[in-house]
Amino acid sequence: MKRLLATLVLAFAAPALADEAVAPLPRDTADAAVIRGSIAFHTYCVLCHGAEGKGDGRAAKMYTPRPANLTVSPFNDTYKEMIIRGGGASVGRSAFMPPWGDELTDEQIRDVVAFLRELRKTGK
Amino acid sequence: MISRSVSRVVMLTAFVVAFAMPAHAADHAVAQIKKAFTVPVLKAKVGDTVTFRNDDEFAHNVFSLSETQNFDLGSYKKGETRQLTLKNPGTIEVECAIHPEMKMKIEVSK
Repeated sequence: MKRLLATLVLAFAAPALADEAVAPLPRDTADAAVIRGSIAFHTYCVLCHGAEGKGDGRAAKMYTPRPANLTVSPFNDTYKEMIIRGGGASVGRSAFMPPWGDELTDEQIRDVVAFLRELRKTGK
Repeated sequence: MISRSVSRVVMLTAFVVAFAMPAHAADHAVAQIKKAFTVPVLKAKVGDTVTFRNDDEFAHNVFSLSETQNFDLGSYKKGETRQLTLKNPGTIEVECAIHPEMKMKIEVSK
């Protein structure tokens, strides 16, 4: 009897497991990009822009102008990608913002931009 | 007689100049290779210089937030150097803004 019950349970559980297997990979979702971007941001950008992106990182006091407050940034995604990739000097802004094009992959840069979009939306 | 006096004056002058001049400042070379500083702890004196040379294929950005001396040498590419003059005694913790795992110390004495 116990064996029959176990067989029935497995028979009904298997299709559910199969459905999960064909679901989109988390990697492909917008949320995943934001999470990955958050990790990259808190590894590389936090030094100047601060944990909340308000431009108050531990190195911020050294710079004039101060690092940008990214929660109120007026720039679009393309511009942000450009400044991340080429650094501040590449767009005529602060040369203290280093170029990240050699360090971050294209995907990481897009992920950081996705995180910044979320940061701008939530303001935190 | 005159030549002996002249030679004494010359010797005295040389002696005074030798001791009056500050010791010659040294230049210390620290390269960046494979995302690491080649010297983990550098001992140097006030007035010495440190030349940071980038031997990696990508940019580095050496800086310090230490109270002893804070600075930002900006980002620089492969083969380029940036020089720092040590101004105060104490410990300077040096980092790279692009590679958070890169760290070294400079212990500066008087």
